[in-house]
Amino acid sequence: MNRTRSSAIRGLSLYVLLSAGLITADHYSPVVRQIFQFAAVIGVPVHFLASLPSTVLERMQGKLEPTDQLRRNYAALREHNLILQARLHRFEFLESENIRLRRLLSAVPATAEKVTLAALVAVNPDPKGQAVLINKGSADGVFQGQPVVDAGGIVGQVTRPGMFRSTVSLVTRENQGISVQVARTSLRAVIYGGGRNRPLRVLYLDRNSDIRTGDLLVTSGLAGRYPAGYPVALVTAVERNLSESFMNVAAEPTSYLGSEREVLLLWLPALDQPVASDLLDSEGELVD
Amino acid sequence: MQRRTWVPIATGIVALVFFALPSEEPLRGFLPDWVSLVLIYWTFALPARMMVGMAWSVGLVVDIVSFGLPGAYALSKAVLVYLARVLALRVRTYPLWQQTIVVLGLLGIEALILTLIDFIVSGDLSGLQRWTAVVVGALVWPVVYWILRRARHLARLGH
Repeated sequence: MNRTRSSAIRGLSLYVLLSAGLITADHYSPVVRQIFQFAAVIGVPVHFLASLPSTVLERMQGKLEPTDQLRRNYAALREHNLILQARLHRFEFLESENIRLRRLLSAVPATAEKVTLAALVAVNPDPKGQAVLINKGSADGVFQGQPVVDAGGIVGQVTRPGMFRSTVSLVTRENQGISVQVARTSLRAVIYGGGRNRPLRVLYLDRNSDIRTGDLLVTSGLAGRYPAGYPVALVTAVERNLSESFMNVAAEPTSYLGSEREVLLLWLPALDQPVASDLLDSEGELVD
Repeated sequence: MQRRTWVPIATGIVALVFFALPSEEPLRGFLPDWVSLVLIYWTFALPARMMVGMAWSVGLVVDIVSFGLPGAYALSKAVLVYLARVLALRVRTYPLWQQTIVVLGLLGIEALILTLIDFIVSGDLSGLQRWTAVVVGALVWPVVYWILRRARHLARLGH
């Protein structure tokens, strides 16, 4: 009895060491991470089965919806589309004007990003509920740290790309920081996730900084991870305490945080590539 | 009589699908780890056949399916099954409510391991819902026990 137990303990410690080795290897070696990206393929049938009930339910709902309601929805969407298109025309004009003005200032032109639509997989990858699964992976060019947005603003970033699926960490994830600026005053700050069902926090803002409830916080693009100008959060509470040098600012994320069906993946032009200077070179007179 | 060893495997796969099932926000934190419950059941029922290595592989599959840190669930499941094996012969004579308490302890130890790994790797101690899931897991144990015992009789797997 005693001997079998000690050999069992030896067996267990072998597996404990193996796990510790894996965790460390995953942290330090990109090769191991690649292997697990490939291995994630075995999750696909499991995810398919797990998402089956909700997909079937949704299909049935679509079938059961009365025709006149569908017609009404269609009309509303059409109207909305018309309004958006009208706005887009103005936006295009503004963009061309913006590029022209930036050239006059010989500044870096704002670069356009490549965008891909990804659907959310109805699966719960993270028991903590701070991540969602999308149906695009490294086979589609998804990479770690890739920014993800939806109609409302920044959703989060890709934390674990698999072959065909990837997880996206939400902006509400604890200790995840995004460099932002206040849209009204361009005051720069860093916003941190507070965890599940808790507001985002803006830390280390001086007590006298100009920030109010209702201010929109947009990405500043300073950290190079998120493109500049995307909405992140709305300030919901500002608390100034005379005995502290920083103030407490709470904010709500503006994006739907994965409750929408689709999200957008962004590809930024690489920051170290001198895209801008190439453009300027072709306009000989702008280069000094 | 022919033994059907695919039955435990099938229950494991069902538990894995349940684990990945989407859940709405208020419910999310309270769902127990079905894979652990199934592992505990089969270890109590067949301690000689459930190997720590098998539990480790199951844990690794859970890691991959959940896109978590590879190795974390593998480690916790290996320890879980090791402890369950040590206790198995004693627990089998217990009434169901006493078994439930043992399961609570086992799930608690697993949660502790996962929390520790989280803390070492990312430095945050969040995840209070992990502990509510432990309690819920123990509460649903009688149901899981009943269903899996039916499955075991179906498989004609004795002690």
